Amino acid sequence: MEIEELKQKLDEARYIYDDTLATVLYVALRLNRPLLIEGAAGVGKTEIAKVMAEALGRELVRMQCYEGLDESKSLYEWNYQKQLLSIQVNMGRRDGDELTKSLFSDEYLLERPLLRSIRAEKPVVLLIDEIDKSDEEFEAFLLELLSDMQVSIPEIGTIRAASLPFVVLTSNRARPLSDALRRRCAYLYIEYPDPEKELAILRARLPEVDAQLAVQVVSAVQKLRGSEAILKKPSVAETLDWAQALMALGVRELTPELMRSTVGFVLKNSEDIETMEALIAPEGDACGCGHDHADGTHGHDHAACGHHHSHA
Amino acid sequence: MLDAAVYLDKLALFGRILRQEGLFVSPTETEDAVSILLELGLDDRETVKAALRTVYAKSREQQLRFDRVFDSFFLSEDVIRALDKKHSEQELERAKARQQAEQELADPVYSYDDAQREAFALLSEEEKERLRKLRDKYLGENSPNQKLYAGMVHSIISRSIMEQQMLMEDAAVGRAAVDPEMGLLFRDITLFEDREIPKAVVYIQDIARRINGELTRRRKKSGRSAALDFRATIRRGLETGGSFYRLAYRKKRAKRKQLVVLCDVSGSMIQFSEFVLRFIQALNQASGASRVFLFSEELYEADAFHLQNMDLFRDYVRRSGVYGRGTDLGGALKRINDMRPPALSPATMLLIISDTKTVNLAHAAQELLRARGRAGKVFWLNPIPERKWKYIGSVQTLAELCTMISCSTLQELGAACRRLALM
Repeated sequence: MEIEELKQKLDEARYIYDDTLATVLYVALRLNRPLLIEGAAGVGKTEIAKVMAEALGRELVRMQCYEGLDESKSLYEWNYQKQLLSIQVNMGRRDGDELTKSLFSDEYLLERPLLRSIRAEKPVVLLIDEIDKSDEEFEAFLLELLSDMQVSIPEIGTIRAASLPFVVLTSNRARPLSDALRRRCAYLYIEYPDPEKELAILRARLPEVDAQLAVQVVSAVQKLRGSEAILKKPSVAETLDWAQALMALGVRELTPELMRSTVGFVLKNSEDIETMEALIAPEGDACGCGHDHADGTHGHDHAACGHHHSHA
Repeated sequence: MLDAAVYLDKLALFGRILRQEGLFVSPTETEDAVSILLELGLDDRETVKAALRTVYAKSREQQLRFDRVFDSFFLSEDVIRALDKKHSEQELERAKARQQAEQELADPVYSYDDAQREAFALLSEEEKERLRKLRDKYLGENSPNQKLYAGMVHSIISRSIMEQQMLMEDAAVGRAAVDPEMGLLFRDITLFEDREIPKAVVYIQDIARRINGELTRRRKKSGRSAALDFRATIRRGLETGGSFYRLAYRKKRAKRKQLVVLCDVSGSMIQFSEFVLRFIQALNQASGASRVFLFSEELYEADAFHLQNMDLFRDYVRRSGVYGRGTDLGGALKRINDMRPPALSPATMLLIISDTKTVNLAHAAQELLRARGRAGKVFWLNPIPERKWKYIGSVQTLAELCTMISCSTLQELGAACRRLALM
């Protein structure tokens, strides 16, 4: 696949990207390297795996990481109950060795996401989500899979990938990942989008949202994100949630009152909500678009919020 | 399709520079870079940059270093011209300054080498005036001490060279430090502004929570070395028809550490000390027998009850009377070493939080040695970045005597506290 073809497929999946992102995805795909994506929560890291699955026409196999995740939850587990049942049923059989061998066959193997992704006949997109939430031991266990695309099961032996999955790992940088893991991956860092890109994302994901409202929501979110005083910056996912909530309320224009009543969709802790109260200037920035209307005596156009104000 | 040899030479050199900058560059990366460049070509600079960055840089910090190296290695034509012009202007200025220094430094006693002449040209007017006065005074004396004079001139000039070197190194790391995306985690703690402190505290709590979780998990795992829990094993066995397939073990009780914390609360250190204490509190690792001492010229034992509210820490330190005075580490350590009943024992871990700047370094080193003999372990958390240690004699001396960890940023501080907690 050429880079232009990849871009075309990303367009078809209605994914908003820039040239850098397309190049990174192309390089990872071309070199068959797992792609490690880092960035703040909600900037669209997981979305990339979903879009790549759609663009490449592959199945998405997702594995959510958490504290305590181990091989039995991620790679395979033996079906103990079935094995015990089989032992009870075949108690009188003479060929004990054969029975033991059969107990460790595919019939009793419970495939988990990692094994499923490398045993799939058609290549899949494997999403290992929030790897930073897993333990260091699990990270070390992943190394064999990421570098050689194979896994070892003591009772069976080494299983090589039947097809090479495109692996996407995401991390919120909650803990530092090991150098060994990083070395095996291509790396992408996603920053918060600029206003134009965020507006494009909003329009692509929620095409029915009112144009004026979309601009106001994006500029308000950008303003909140730009404020040093906001501890938990609103993510793109929260921008979309907020716009959706406002749409559901039938709102066409964002006012300070509406911001106050719906702020829970975009800010998630009380300190930030208090800060936002301070940021909404009572007599000036009534629309939340970040422009000063303090003079209140003339009408003017707002390039950012896309509408005309008259404060006569 | 272009010839791979064209890229190989350049990429090998580029790879060497990246390696010097601390990036992982193995033959695999170079191979990947060549194969990807053969496909993409060199027409579009930004595409080449994004592709190579994907191959070589494996973290956000490495991306910033990569961008810096790439921009100075693969220069655009305009940049080359501008640099050329700037370079010739700088050369002219330097030659002029050297010439001026030659005239000024016509010293009958001390002969300056080239590096010193250049350093002199960059000296502030005050320092130059100090040197002139020193020379006039020396020449005016009846029996001048040539060795003393040469030593003083050498000291002034060397300090200037060292400061210039540190400024250059700071400029080199400056970009990473001011990058807002890098956030507070990677910035020098002592440079935090007041408005940034609440956010830094949130980070500390967050990191400490994760370390606590990690420790709990480790204890859970290491529990296997403890005794078998018969009741739990039998109960689990019922799930598998009476077969004791999975054994259960008794959990080990987590032991809290007995810490003796010696905190430097001089003006430049208070912010750092406050953050370390917040970490220690949030880590929930210190036992009731732990003690915290604050010191400057005097030693003051902090009241554990008052230290529970770290938001009032600064007021508390100011009230204690130790804030903002000189630093006498030797004196503070001596008082701790001589305490009856003893504050230090093989069961305690002594944690010193200081930038090593102290009066009477020899005394401090001697008392540190004594403390090392009494305490189980001695750790030193130093807010001075490790790259600057080579310029500071006191750091070099004291680092020899205990385990010194650089923690100039919250990220480093978190890593250091994790290391302490795991011990």
